[in-house]
Amino acid sequence: MPHDVTMPQLGMAQDAGKIVSWLKAAGDAVEKGDALFEVETDKATMEVEAQADGFLTDVCAAEGDDVLVGAVIARISDSAEDSMTTPAPTATKDNDDDLPQGVSVTMPQLGMAQDTGLLVSWQKALGDAVAADDVLFEVETDKSTMEVPAGKDGYLAATLVEAGQEVPVGDPVAIISKDKPEAPVSRSIASASVSKAPATPPVESAVGPAVEAAVEPTVKSPPAQAQPKLGPPPTHGRTLASPKARRLALEQGLDLDALAASGHPQPFHVADLAAAKALPTGAPAAMVAQTMRLTAEIAEDGLPDFAAWAARSHGLDDATALLAGLGGASLGSDNETTVVIQRAGQALTYTVPTGRGLSKVTASDNIVTDLILRDLRGTPIRSADLGVQGAPVLTIMTAGAGLDIALECTHTQLNAQAAITLLSNFAGRMEQPLRHLL
Amino acid sequence: MREITLSQAVNEAIAEEMRRDPTVFLLGEDVAEAGTPFKVLSGLVEEFGTERIIDTPISEPGFTGIAVGAAMTGSRPIVDLMFGDFIFLIMDQLCNQAAKTHYMSGGKLSVPMVLRTNLGATRRSAAQHSQSLHALVAHIPGLKIAMPSSAYEAKGLMKTAIRDNNPVVIFEDKLMYQDKAPVPEEEYLIPFGVANIKREGRDITLIATSSMVQVAEKAAEILAAEGIEAEVIDPRTIVPLDEATLLESVKRTSRAIVIDEGHQSYGITAEIASRLNEKAFYHLDAPVLRMGAMDVPIPFSPVLEDLTVPTPQTVAANARKLCAGEMIHAA
Repeated sequence: MPHDVTMPQLGMAQDAGKIVSWLKAAGDAVEKGDALFEVETDKATMEVEAQADGFLTDVCAAEGDDVLVGAVIARISDSAEDSMTTPAPTATKDNDDDLPQGVSVTMPQLGMAQDTGLLVSWQKALGDAVAADDVLFEVETDKSTMEVPAGKDGYLAATLVEAGQEVPVGDPVAIISKDKPEAPVSRSIASASVSKAPATPPVESAVGPAVEAAVEPTVKSPPAQAQPKLGPPPTHGRTLASPKARRLALEQGLDLDALAASGHPQPFHVADLAAAKALPTGAPAAMVAQTMRLTAEIAEDGLPDFAAWAARSHGLDDATALLAGLGGASLGSDNETTVVIQRAGQALTYTVPTGRGLSKVTASDNIVTDLILRDLRGTPIRSADLGVQGAPVLTIMTAGAGLDIALECTHTQLNAQAAITLLSNFAGRMEQPLRHLL
Repeated sequence: MREITLSQAVNEAIAEEMRRDPTVFLLGEDVAEAGTPFKVLSGLVEEFGTERIIDTPISEPGFTGIAVGAAMTGSRPIVDLMFGDFIFLIMDQLCNQAAKTHYMSGGKLSVPMVLRTNLGATRRSAAQHSQSLHALVAHIPGLKIAMPSSAYEAKGLMKTAIRDNNPVVIFEDKLMYQDKAPVPEEEYLIPFGVANIKREGRDITLIATSSMVQVAEKAAEILAAEGIEAEVIDPRTIVPLDEATLLESVKRTSRAIVIDEGHQSYGITAEIASRLNEKAFYHLDAPVLRMGAMDVPIPFSPVLEDLTVPTPQTVAANARKLCAGEMIHAA
């Protein structure tokens, strides 16, 4: 496909360049990158390289000529004979028949490394009379927006590009006719090769309301695209929750996806966890499969004697806090833990520090629980299988002189080894509380 | 306790340190007879003379360079930069020389210099005399940045700055020079890198610098009337930053707004918000918000200028949204 050779713009304020010398002659084979000619601007003399492989043809500017930026001065064709009388009315091959006769205006090269230019706006309406110096359109490159002159006196007979379209350097963007066009043509890059529709119907006078009608849609189209939208963003199938809400839900075994399925508005925050707790726990089969129940048996309940000794010798007279301390320590955590003691319909929450200091167990109002101790000593209940809760549950029941202790938890709360360790630790401490101090 | 203005507090701090240490001297434009355009240094030249309170020609790079050299060779200069906006003129002296000399001399040289300058809009001083440019220098390792929020901080931080063996930049808010606050008669210093919890609260943490501390405190009062308890923290120095206190607070409240008068983009608010996101992520119940000056040249028009900076009302409005769990939309 033939490639137009145009006068490049080598300076920001340059509108013409003088051809100092041709370095290739018409008919010469050229390769992309070969120096074609030398240009002198007000600042410097530069060599201009070929942008395509082929043969130099249709040279229409001589050495010494001042040529407007963007003007076509030659062509690189597929063969040395591939020549036309004038390279001017170029490009569009398939539907040339629809286009008015005239000189084509091409997308100028405004920067050294520029491949395309964005046609920002047309400064003339279709059918308008234009002078060579009139600004025809504005082009935006990666560096700046510049006005491009028509380069030829005449009438704007066709626009081949819509405002907002990106045009390869050298491609025709308009046709300027000598005479007033009867039917000016407006096209876009996409439509040029496909449809011949947008040509305006012939009108008695080319300059008039019909012209506006042809131009208007091209001007209005770009802003129609970008419309910011408000309202909750799409969740893309994810449950939206704050990092803290997510962490607490994990710690407390709450199912945020179930909360989302219930239609509770997202994103979820900590305050929404109450709603998650209130969801019916329709324990799905998968949940049941993930639970664990372990039991231990000890011959003697060592706690009453230990509590009496602790109260007498150390002034620790809250036996419930001692129980919480033994439970919390059995978890073997590196952090302080929160233990809830459930007894006779009451729940007491304690913070258990790391280490062995039972005197440092304090009442707490934490809502995040690490361990629940269900104390059924003194009741006639001998067996309990009450299901898992938000934290591992140790149930303590009287069995003769000793105790039965059951641990119920899920695999997400404790793995098997951790569950065995917790129950062994706790059973050992209940049988022989002094062990805790060793 | 007696109350004095921020201006008097700075004056006292410099006078006390100049009496204590004969190597301390001050130089800048209109600092001696004029006592600066804000009258902060009035009376100092009478006590210390023109050898130690030095009026310089109008050449910020010149007198800042002199101070850097003097600091390297045993003095403790205080450079008075009339407007914070002029910091652009002394970037090389401050950022390439003062900030790096200790490092590049292998510790053989120190630059115990204080640059006192100002920030703050809404004084109708237009775009070249209203900027808050502390983020520019906070970006440079080797500089400490103090931002007093009241007369009390202004005095304690200035005395610490003068005694520090590193270059310190102090940004005073030029609208606060006449603001009074209780300041003890007896000597005190405020250590760098220790934040001050100005008000305790459980629902949201407002981290604010300089005059924005007042804005945050007023916002907290508005919010308190609505049942939202805001905690207000003043970092006092942004380099070094008391990250531990900020993190501890945000872990408690789960929400935070960072308020600073520098331009919002790429500013102090962004840095602090980012650290909270990195180190307290799993404790956050809402995104950490930044509130800085609008990303525009500060307008001269009073109506427009007032719109560019955070106010108690805009801070309270954002706090309300965060506490209500409202989605913060991307712009």
